[in-house]
Amino acid sequence: MKGDEAQHAFVTLLERHRGILHKIASAYAREAAGREDLRQEIVLQLWRSFPRFDARSKFSTWMYRVALNVAISYARRRRGEGRIELAAPAAIETVPGVTAPPADDRLDAVLAFVNRLDELNRALMLLYLDDYPHAEIATILGISPSNVATKIARIKERLRRDIAAQPPSQ
Amino acid sequence: MELDELKAIWAKHDERLERTAQVNGEMLARWGVRNSLKSLRVLFGSVLFEAAADLVAIVLIGSFAADHYRNAELLAPAVILGAYAIAIFAAMVGQAVALAAIHYDEPILAIQIRLQRLRERRIRTTLGILLFAPLVWLPFTIVAMQGIFGVNVAEADPVWLVANFLFGVAVIPVGVYAARRFGPRLKASSAMRAVADEIAGRSLAVALEDLAAIGRFAGES
Repeated sequence: MKGDEAQHAFVTLLERHRGILHKIASAYAREAAGREDLRQEIVLQLWRSFPRFDARSKFSTWMYRVALNVAISYARRRRGEGRIELAAPAAIETVPGVTAPPADDRLDAVLAFVNRLDELNRALMLLYLDDYPHAEIATILGISPSNVATKIARIKERLRRDIAAQPPSQ
Repeated sequence: MELDELKAIWAKHDERLERTAQVNGEMLARWGVRNSLKSLRVLFGSVLFEAAADLVAIVLIGSFAADHYRNAELLAPAVILGAYAIAIFAAMVGQAVALAAIHYDEPILAIQIRLQRLRERRIRTTLGILLFAPLVWLPFTIVAMQGIFGVNVAEADPVWLVANFLFGVAVIPVGVYAARRFGPRLKASSAMRAVADEIAGRSLAVALEDLAAIGRFAGES
């Protein structure tokens, strides 16, 4: 593919799967500026890796792998700099001309739970929430499907404990 | 709330993103690739600049050594300084090559382990450079004074030379102590704090712990 043609194909695919970009950015960076930085880094690595993308495979799976690798590294780097990324609210940037959706407490609770997980378990959880089968999660992460099942069971247990520990809502 | 319930809420999150992120998509098409390519060029530009500057230093030191090869008291510091500059250059090139060989579309665990090992290597290299810097202070002074001003400091009083060398040696433990004691208080400058964390060994400890955490994640089942 020539330069312009490749760039057009890349932007088209990115546009189609932009939800992945926003979801990962909101799961790994709290502040708007951080999310913007992370999105830029992800797009950069996606573009850099694009010549290696095999068009016979699913772009979304490939994109998840690249984006999660970048996001995990980003979160570790921020932690190393002493900037702890706390649980994010329902992080959706409003853009001029688009009305912001109403706040959703349950979604905030889900994002807060996801953000309390360490970077690798967070990646696993994002894939699970997006309905990826265990085998595919295993391939993306590079662990065995039985390991994926074990970790999901542990996360379920942790979710139950977290809910049990929360005070009942008024 | 169960995980399946979380999935349903997450699907709603998807719909909301789809509605609100449409303009972001257009913005991405207009700015994303262009800005990303620009930052990639800046990154490679800074690496190239550092490598070029180090190469210039190696060439200048080499030229100095060639000019003074008959004079052992000038040749010896030039050789020490040259070896230091070559070691820095080799470490920088080695890290750049290792980083360029990492492709983020490979399985996450494999990439994260490689990135963490690279981070550990980078921290150890920086630590080596910083800790050896006070020891090359004296050779640097001798070479710079002769090269720039034509003054042969190596002919100075041996007591002065030994005192200078011992001063360099003493700077190392004092530097490590200061980094451990005062590093966490350096909140105004993140760059200074990063250097202090590396000298104090805190960055290395964090990198090794992160590597161990990845190992635990891979090993659990």
